[in-house]
Amino acid sequence: MAKRRFLPALFLIVVVLLIIVAVLWWRENRSNDNPVQKVSATDEQIARGRYAARAADCAACHTVEGGGLFAGGFPMETPFGTVHGSNITPSADYGIGRWTREDFHRAVREGITPGGRHLYPAMPYNSYYMMSDQDLDDIYAYLMTRPAIDVPTPQNDLPFPFNQRFLMIGWNLLFQNKDPLPAVSSGDSELWVRGRYLTDVMGHCAECHTPRGMFGQMDLAQSLKGGTLGRFKAADITPSGLAERGWTPGDLGQFLATGTAPQGSAFSEMHMVVALSTQYLTKEDMTAMTTYLMGDKPPPPKVAQLTPGGDKGRAQYLNLCAGCHGVSGEGKPNVAPAMAGNATIRQGDATNLIASILDGLPEQAFPGNSNMQSMPGFARKLNDQQMAELVNYTRTTWGGLPGDITAAQIDALREH
Amino acid sequence: MKITTRPITLTINGKKQGPLDIAEGMMMIDFLNEYVNLTGSRLGCGQGVCHACVVIEDQPDGSSHETRTCITGAHYFDGKAIRTVEGHATINDKGEEVPSPVQQAFMDHYSFQCGYCTPGFVNAATVFIEGLKRNPIARDELEEAILKAMNNHICRCTGYVRYYEAVRDLVLKTPGLIRETKNG
Repeated sequence: MAKRRFLPALFLIVVVLLIIVAVLWWRENRSNDNPVQKVSATDEQIARGRYAARAADCAACHTVEGGGLFAGGFPMETPFGTVHGSNITPSADYGIGRWTREDFHRAVREGITPGGRHLYPAMPYNSYYMMSDQDLDDIYAYLMTRPAIDVPTPQNDLPFPFNQRFLMIGWNLLFQNKDPLPAVSSGDSELWVRGRYLTDVMGHCAECHTPRGMFGQMDLAQSLKGGTLGRFKAADITPSGLAERGWTPGDLGQFLATGTAPQGSAFSEMHMVVALSTQYLTKEDMTAMTTYLMGDKPPPPKVAQLTPGGDKGRAQYLNLCAGCHGVSGEGKPNVAPAMAGNATIRQGDATNLIASILDGLPEQAFPGNSNMQSMPGFARKLNDQQMAELVNYTRTTWGGLPGDITAAQIDALREH
Repeated sequence: MKITTRPITLTINGKKQGPLDIAEGMMMIDFLNEYVNLTGSRLGCGQGVCHACVVIEDQPDGSSHETRTCITGAHYFDGKAIRTVEGHATINDKGEEVPSPVQQAFMDHYSFQCGYCTPGFVNAATVFIEGLKRNPIARDELEEAILKAMNNHICRCTGYVRYYEAVRDLVLKTPGLIRETKNG
């Protein structure tokens, strides 16, 4: 008898669950047929919007190389699959042409688009949620007055279940930020406050520079202490982490404005950040950002305790590196950055140093008509032992770090 | 100032060279030009960009690849085997110099004018064709493969197309470099 009563109840539960899933699926996938928005704005507001959109680095993900500005398509590799930046031009069918001001505010701050469709947190709404009404209105006015580009956003490449957007409802319940990100430095000056907004909200620096947990959420207890999303690790950019590698607020400002500094040149995704975003910050905003990153009372840059490197490593360096980086690691302008004082060499975790030697780096242009040449990869030219000797030579000679990298650590980073 | 030297022994164009005492940190292009009188490898940019200075580095497994000598120290090549542009032509029964097929193709196509980049192109095309002998490719992959193999080499005279066509024609008329495929 009990079984007879149990079965219909189970059936009912299953039906209700299926209906819920169907409704959620429908909400995520229905089309938006709201009226196309006509937005007009003054030149002044458009200029403000362009500045804010650059400070928020919208173009990085919403523009693909060779594609139209903001027409989407940039593939962001995540541990869960590839997510593509969407078309945010005013295209009615492919972009945000039907979005109202309120729709735009909600999408940027909460990651929910008109109709209830959830964005993946690759869209940094967990940083943008504190964005001011003024900045959002200005960016909206700027975007909506750009030419509409009618190209669809490429399909994301996410396996089941991650391709089910309604799962983000649960993710948001667990991880959506309601409070400002924890301050990484101390200060209360006007510049510091502005810098905190530029860094944590607009620049969304924490998205790459903070370690992430199992579900891809930022581990805010370790805000800006370094992230591990891609092949290269985003460095620790807390005041102590920066000072540890020899950064000063002045050098940091130079780096963010021009992509190069005595501590090295921007590479990988940070090169994009400089090219599309930070180079456009006003001098005052740049000072604000570096004031926040290093605090109102910045710690003094650490002086590295250098020790001579081993002969074998020195031989590898002279054979393969000195031609561009100089016999004494002095570098060559517009060719290769200096090794002496290089912040990447001074990173305790040698991942970035090893990966750049293994893979090489592409040629890069920097603001102000300067550039760095492409660096060849040496994966084929050096075996694990030789590369460990080379890495350890640079770490002790210029990094003030122990030469403790093993051949096994090199092997682990090879792309087999 | 004291210049530290270290000995170097290597095989160039099949001939053993050394041991020679060479200054630590000397670039390979200087070693070739100044110490063993092989002046065919050209110093162009000196920064690893133009590829006029590349030599062929032969691996023990029979494969080979290009290496830029203007940014690679001479001592890197200690114990290794390389070929330079001087090593391609052969001598026939009559004692005449016979260009390699790649060299002949470049001449037939008027591929170069000033010739400064040519040693690098000869080495690049030779590495490419030897690679095809080991691993033939499909006909419809050829154009892209030539581009990939030669793309890093800079030429300021002939606009690349004659080098490109020379390599394509040579590949197509040399048996065994192209795999049979359905579509061509």
